[in-house]
Amino acid sequence: MDQERRGQWLRGVLDLCVLALLHRRESYGYELAQSLDATGIGPIQGGTLYPVLLRLQRTGLVTAQWREGASGPARKYYQITPAGSETLRRTTVDWDAFASGVGTILREVQTR
Amino acid sequence: MNHDGWLHALTGELHRRGLDPNLSRHVVAEAAAHLRDSGEAPLRVFGPPETYAAAVAESVGVPRPQTGRAWPDASAGVAGSAGTGRAAGSARTVRSSPGPIRLDVRGISKRYRRRPVLSGVDLTVRAGEIAAVVGANGAGKSTFLRICAGLISPDRGQVRVHGSLGYCPQSGGTNDYLYPDEHFVLVGAGRGLPRATARAAGREHAAALDWDPSGRTQARHLSGGTRQKLNLVMAALGEPDVLLLDEPYQGFDRGTYLDFWQQLWRWRSAGKAIVVVTHLLNQLDRVDTVLDLTPTREVSA
Repeated sequence: MDQERRGQWLRGVLDLCVLALLHRRESYGYELAQSLDATGIGPIQGGTLYPVLLRLQRTGLVTAQWREGASGPARKYYQITPAGSETLRRTTVDWDAFASGVGTILREVQTR
Repeated sequence: MNHDGWLHALTGELHRRGLDPNLSRHVVAEAAAHLRDSGEAPLRVFGPPETYAAAVAESVGVPRPQTGRAWPDASAGVAGSAGTGRAAGSARTVRSSPGPIRLDVRGISKRYRRRPVLSGVDLTVRAGEIAAVVGANGAGKSTFLRICAGLISPDRGQVRVHGSLGYCPQSGGTNDYLYPDEHFVLVGAGRGLPRATARAAGREHAAALDWDPSGRTQARHLSGGTRQKLNLVMAALGEPDVLLLDEPYQGFDRGTYLDFWQQLWRWRSAGKAIVVVTHLLNQLDRVDTVLDLTPTREVSA
């Protein structure tokens, strides 16, 4: 995949993906990076991920606390807030509409 | 760069950007945890410390150092003058004048033997302005500043200074066998400051450059960069209205260089008129006036 274009796409949706992962369950940065990678949208580096987490925290969509994990050292765990869940729900609807619009246009190219 | 080195550099960069120390500690600790978990190189995961610090500062909403002041015309002016017409002695003022004129230079010309170094140079700097003097090696930047400081005479033209003057030379200017504090007292005395006041003012200016000058180290044993900090502090003692700075940052590491420009912007906000010799064009978008002394006919390597 064209890395520059992938980066542009990610900028638009990375915060939503992070919110959605935290909607499943609380998590910490490295684990979030691995989960994102596992979905196939490509590797997300810390330099990209943590600023997004900080912004989500600042805007009150997630909270965070340092805790000792079940195994191993202290990590900063992020939890989605009610405001975060609401934003995620609303924006997911918007994204569906947007992505299906893009999909419709691009499928014309494929079938021609 | 190893983890510790990178994390240390990140700490410094976050501090420089004015991030809350508590938040800064969390950011660094989180990066350390990530590096430990992933086992990858910090540069690969986070990029250079200054880049990551910038991203962090932006996402937590810390205003950038150069808050809201961009001077796109200034850099365009420099780029343009390189290829067009006669650049020598042309000053570009990019911002409407904020204060009274502090330094007024008219028609300065200077020859060394038969070689003309400066011809017909004008420059006006007002209170609250920074003027950058640029030009190739040998273009007469230092000569121009020494003329402004009254250390040498021009062949033609005049310099008017409205207020008091501080001058920081490119090198020299310190006394090998004196401690930093003794420099402050000595220079302060020349500007009417009592000993204790001079020492306190010197240490305060030094702190802005991330330097603690209270140690008993004679100037000859200071590093080149630290000697230049001493020079800079001495130039600023007594809060002169006009500051003439001749590439004072030689030997500065990157962090100190940023501190230096922060200090310049603070001085500008405080209403000082500043002239700084520089060859680092990327700083020019943050100054008010650019004086390009590069003669068009002479192309130096």
